[in-house]
Amino acid sequence: MAEAERRDETALVVDDVRKRYGDTVALDGVSLSIPSGEVFGLVGPNGAGKTTLVRALTGTTRHEGAVSVLGASPGTVDAGRVGLLPQSFDPANRLTARELLAYYAGLYDDARGVDAVLDDVGLPNDADTWYENLSGGQQRRACVGTALVNDPDVLFLDEPTTGIDPAGRRSLWSLVDELAAGGTTVLLTSHSMAEVERLADRVGLLRDGRLVAVGTPEELIAEHGGDSHLIVDGDVDPAVVSNVLDADVESDPRDGRLVVRDVALADVGRLVSELEAAGVDFDSFTWAEPDLEDVYLRLTGDSLEGRR
Amino acid sequence: MSRLRRISATFVAAFRAFARRKTAVFFTFFFPVLLILIFGALVQTRPTGGGLFAREPAYYLPGYLAVVVVFTPLSRVGSTIARHRDGNRFEKLATTPLRRWEWLLAHTLVNVAVIGLAALLLFVLVIVVTGAEVVVGATLLALVPLVVVGVALFCGLGAIIGRVADSQDGVIAASNAVALPVWMLSETFVPPSMLPAWFRPVTAFSPLTYFSRGVRAATAGDDPTVVLLVLAALAVGFFLAGAVAVPRTE
Repeated sequence: MAEAERRDETALVVDDVRKRYGDTVALDGVSLSIPSGEVFGLVGPNGAGKTTLVRALTGTTRHEGAVSVLGASPGTVDAGRVGLLPQSFDPANRLTARELLAYYAGLYDDARGVDAVLDDVGLPNDADTWYENLSGGQQRRACVGTALVNDPDVLFLDEPTTGIDPAGRRSLWSLVDELAAGGTTVLLTSHSMAEVERLADRVGLLRDGRLVAVGTPEELIAEHGGDSHLIVDGDVDPAVVSNVLDADVESDPRDGRLVVRDVALADVGRLVSELEAAGVDFDSFTWAEPDLEDVYLRLTGDSLEGRR
Repeated sequence: MSRLRRISATFVAAFRAFARRKTAVFFTFFFPVLLILIFGALVQTRPTGGGLFAREPAYYLPGYLAVVVVFTPLSRVGSTIARHRDGNRFEKLATTPLRRWEWLLAHTLVNVAVIGLAALLLFVLVIVVTGAEVVVGATLLALVPLVVVGVALFCGLGAIIGRVADSQDGVIAASNAVALPVWMLSETFVPPSMLPAWFRPVTAFSPLTYFSRGVRAATAGDDPTVVLLVLAALAVGFFLAGAVAVPRTE
């Protein structure tokens, strides 16, 4: 299909999708449209419904509401145009990486060459190692490779970088960049805000089965991220800092660090000087602009646990 | 060609995955050999006495073959399904062109290859160790389709067990619970005459009964066609039910 034509398509449509597991609501009226060629990041706390939404789109769960993939239902769409890396995917562990990719390639009429896929996922030198003897990062890359053997137009990656070291993660990010540049639509779920901020054209935030925000990372940060802030590290009294700086000061309940809101970069030097002049004994300070993690924390009401 | 390619790819991957688990391969062959050595060589048959093993050695040939024809596919296919489910492999396969029946057929063919070899070994061992007498003739060739059809039947049942049991441990327990009574009460080791009269008709509901009758007919020079057809019809039913049972969704 011509590139321009493919980009005009709406790749994925989710219309008022609902799903319950007993009394637990997994998806509660989710609607979403993802154009072809877009990288869409889906974030949310554990149990928010990310994997359930991926399953609805891949036809592996029953649900209320309508979904379409490349204009067809998941059950009737050309399987050769769809790739999936499921969450916690664990393939046969006594096949080599090459054999594993060859197996999945063998399920399609028009599959890519296995060596090319091994190159894409950075495993050409470990291609003949049994899966169980690969490192965690290499295993995950081999798993990603299984989703690429059919050169899909739509790729679902459910937490693709879980368990991958930073170097492996960056190599996968580059791979997603290349796929996106080639026109592949990617739906990516992740717990890493840095990952979706780095990769996604748009981000959707799920909470309790509801899509509470959708937009580009910049839009979400501008709308929900709050202000830039100064973090003061050390055994200091919040009241003293608040009094010296004449500003609202929050205390991080996890580690006691102080967060001074709405601090412009230009004011940092002055504020630090004022703290030093007042004899406030702090260890270090960090200035930060709001990022997607701030959006996540504000919209999910999640705890600060795991925050950088 | 597409279908053949998918089945072939799945067969190759499944065969490699099995053949590289040396412990599984060893016990697939060792367990039935051990039984022959215990019952065939140590206990031996007592054709003139009463009780168990009172028939001529050839009577027990179906029972020995049934060890691999019943136990191996039930546990292997069942645990393979549990492993696939635990590793979210079916979730991935559901997005590929592979159909459930194609998956089960490929795994059935792996079982046919493995169990075919094991059955050949057992057949030779039973004759050598117990002195069982078989009529060498055209009917003996019917052992091949009997084993193939029997394996396909129990692969289907194994798929059902794999679907119902919620873990690999559960599969092993469930497959043993199903296989043991089927193995003992299907005109294999226990002759119908030793069973209570009221129970004898029940054995007709066991598919293994037809396997036993077929093997006994084939090795005695009798025509096993009718029981082979019955077994084949049952195998089709169990295979289709098994294919439906192979998970596709959560």
